[in-house]
Amino acid sequence: MIEIEHVRRNYGPTTAVADLNLTVKQGEVFAFLGPNGAGKTTTIKMIVGLLQPSAGAIRVCGHDVVRKARESSACIGYVPDEPHLYDKLTGRELLQFIGEMYGFPTGEVDRHIAREVERFQLGEFVDNLTETYSHGMKQRTVFAAAMLHQPRVLVVDEPMVGLDPHSIRLVKDLLMQQAAGGCTVFMSTHTLSVAEEVADRIGVVHRGRLMFVGTVHELQTHFARPDRTLERLYLDLVDAAEGRASSVENGDEHQDLQDADDAEATWSQSTETES
Amino acid sequence: MANYVAPSPEALRTRPPSRLLSASEESTVLMRLRRRLLLASLRQALKTARFRLALVVALTLFFWAGLFLLLYETFHFLASYIGSQGALHNQVVQFTFDVFFCSLLVMLMFSAGIIFYGALFRSPETIYLLTLPLRPGRVVLYKFQETVLLSSWGFLLLGSPMLVAYGVVTGAPWTYYALLAPMMVAFVYIPCSIGALCCLAIARWLPRFRMSLLGGTAALVVGLAGYAIWSVVAGDRSDLLTERWFHHTLNRLSFTSSYLLPSWWLSSGLLQAARAGSPIDGAGFTQSLWFLALLVSNAMLGQVATHALGSRVLRASYSRLHTGPSGGTHRGGKWIDRITMAVTFPLPHQVRLLILKDLRVFRRDPVQWAQFLIFFGLLGLYFLNIRRVTYDVDHTLWVNMISFLNLAVVGLILSTFTTRFIFPMISLEGSRFWILGLLPIERDTILWGKFLFAAVGAAIPSTVLILISDLMLRVAPLVVVIHQITCLLLCAGLSGLAVGMGALMPNLKEQSPSKIAAGFGGTLNLVLSALYIIIVVALTAVPCHFYLAAQPAGVQLPEELQTRLIRGIWISTGLAVGVGVLATFVPLYRGLRAFRRLQF
Repeated sequence: MIEIEHVRRNYGPTTAVADLNLTVKQGEVFAFLGPNGAGKTTTIKMIVGLLQPSAGAIRVCGHDVVRKARESSACIGYVPDEPHLYDKLTGRELLQFIGEMYGFPTGEVDRHIAREVERFQLGEFVDNLTETYSHGMKQRTVFAAAMLHQPRVLVVDEPMVGLDPHSIRLVKDLLMQQAAGGCTVFMSTHTLSVAEEVADRIGVVHRGRLMFVGTVHELQTHFARPDRTLERLYLDLVDAAEGRASSVENGDEHQDLQDADDAEATWSQSTETES
Repeated sequence: MANYVAPSPEALRTRPPSRLLSASEESTVLMRLRRRLLLASLRQALKTARFRLALVVALTLFFWAGLFLLLYETFHFLASYIGSQGALHNQVVQFTFDVFFCSLLVMLMFSAGIIFYGALFRSPETIYLLTLPLRPGRVVLYKFQETVLLSSWGFLLLGSPMLVAYGVVTGAPWTYYALLAPMMVAFVYIPCSIGALCCLAIARWLPRFRMSLLGGTAALVVGLAGYAIWSVVAGDRSDLLTERWFHHTLNRLSFTSSYLLPSWWLSSGLLQAARAGSPIDGAGFTQSLWFLALLVSNAMLGQVATHALGSRVLRASYSRLHTGPSGGTHRGGKWIDRITMAVTFPLPHQVRLLILKDLRVFRRDPVQWAQFLIFFGLLGLYFLNIRRVTYDVDHTLWVNMISFLNLAVVGLILSTFTTRFIFPMISLEGSRFWILGLLPIERDTILWGKFLFAAVGAAIPSTVLILISDLMLRVAPLVVVIHQITCLLLCAGLSGLAVGMGALMPNLKEQSPSKIAAGFGGTLNLVLSALYIIIVVALTAVPCHFYLAAQPAGVQLPEELQTRLIRGIWISTGLAVGVGVLATFVPLYRGLRAFRRLQF
């Protein structure tokens, strides 16, 4: 559903994404992890067609995101990290606009809106102007907007920011249910526990380079640490890439870092080939 | 939310695909969106801001009516000399219209280009629209329509009273009035399209040089305009406003009457329409329709070209613009920071740091200083050439009047800047108040810092400008002193008003300074600022006028009378100082009180 081939994106002399190769299959939840400035949001913006790759190609549902931008956009539901809502529209009016934009007839738009209003519990405020919404209300409305046309690919940038525990649970369930229904979910997050819980595979990107792609279990196996959490493994991986001492100091940490350092290149290569 | 029952995987797998809209459907959906947004804003304004809305409408009508009366008198005066019809009339009016519309053509191109850039490449709405399955050309057209509206309202507000006044004076037939709106709208589309096309081309092919190109072109246009003004007023002053001077001026500005300029099509079309009812030329209406067709066809071509280019380059341009190299580093103190810290040494250290912070924000935002530079640069250019422009520079009273009018103009421009940039400062601190609010400083210090930043920042260029004006006009030393005092009063009073009103009426939800300034508080601040300028300038100008009127050149007044007149000047100046102190400290005091209580 999402195919990324040898994609590079520069910001002037700085390389934000370097030779990225990745395939996310139908029905898969993929969590894209990495430190700030690693290239996660740039990758997401390229997938949804906002930015164009300096080199390489991205296809969504078989459509090239540069040459067939409309077709690929029609497949995607996008939840950005800083969503835009029309202040002077109510939540319902916003959803109506989006439904019309995706070509649904009026009656059908109302049906879809009713479904999303119920799903995200927007009923209490959906007829108020969005300028009066709290951050959490806005985030739920944006999710409803992204889900309205039942996308085949859901791209989510930092989905849990500003959500209360109930909404976080709802979003986690939603992501897993959508994947179960055949939707491809590409998610960028710093909330490692969420990634661990919902993602089928994770990808760790650092300074534009993909360091690891695989399941959490594969990562544990490689480090021979089946008891370790994703958070711990992630920190070791990134620290090793930075060439600094582990963030989680204890007895055998130094050896782990060496392992991670040595393994970095082979891992990203081998796991990608497998996928 | 926990009660939500998910659809079955089968239902999700068999979901219907969304449909791509046709071009006309896209247009309909976006038009509906715009209508919804407009109606919602209007409903909200009627519900929550009736007074503000009424004030804006009343001020607009007042401005329109005032301009209409002024221009009616001007055309009436003109008609009394050159008649309301005939070859000479047509030549003079055509010349006036050509110059006026040609200037507006250039200004509209610039403003449209800049507005279009902001609307298309810097607006969060564009990011959102680009993630929807919309044709890029449709996004471009949607933003282009917004640009046309935003960049042309000033032209319509300025041009419509002029053209209606002309029609009334010349007794134009109803067809003239019927053609006014379509002609003006069609004309506006042409410079807007050119501006939009230039913007798209620069964003696509020269994104790294966009600021240099904009600055260079602006400098070139200002230079050319300066040269044109100079060439008109240069030469022997005894020649000014004579027939020979008029012919010279006509020749020098004859480029504005080029057949290739849309401004010429507009002025010719309007003149033909106004002549349509006269017995001199019965074919006028047909000819005006021809010019309308010319304008409309070019406007449509402009829109089609904008759409075509936008369709091809929007996504690539957007991508290039947002992946350019980031701004340079700003490490270490600049010389201007060191000077600021040095010259503010008597102030408490915390106030100096706040001033420095505001100065850094100001100079790193070209929108702020570029406008400041253009307006004050143009004023400086005018003041330096004032002896050539002003008709009777040897007449003391005339010089005195001009010098005080210059003072008022500086004050009025300053008031627009304090309203646009100083008034929103407190509102803009709202979202980042966690920085200032948690610092170990009094809230009062923050407000005083902003006031001093505004007052000193305004005083430096304003006093220099007024000094240039006075030196060029060779006004009496006493008047120079009065002008400098008045100028300082204006700077302090306008800054006090803007900072105080900004703290009294903050809009903590809004992030756009222009929207904050355009709100009720900003409008009220502008009105109060204008009143303050009128009062202070009148208080200082009138006694100076009497003082100069009482002593014609070379005549020595009796000492007692002279003493009384000078005393009158100082008393009046004292009154102005009193008004200035009130205007500075009352809003500041009220602002300080409100700011201490403000919950962020």
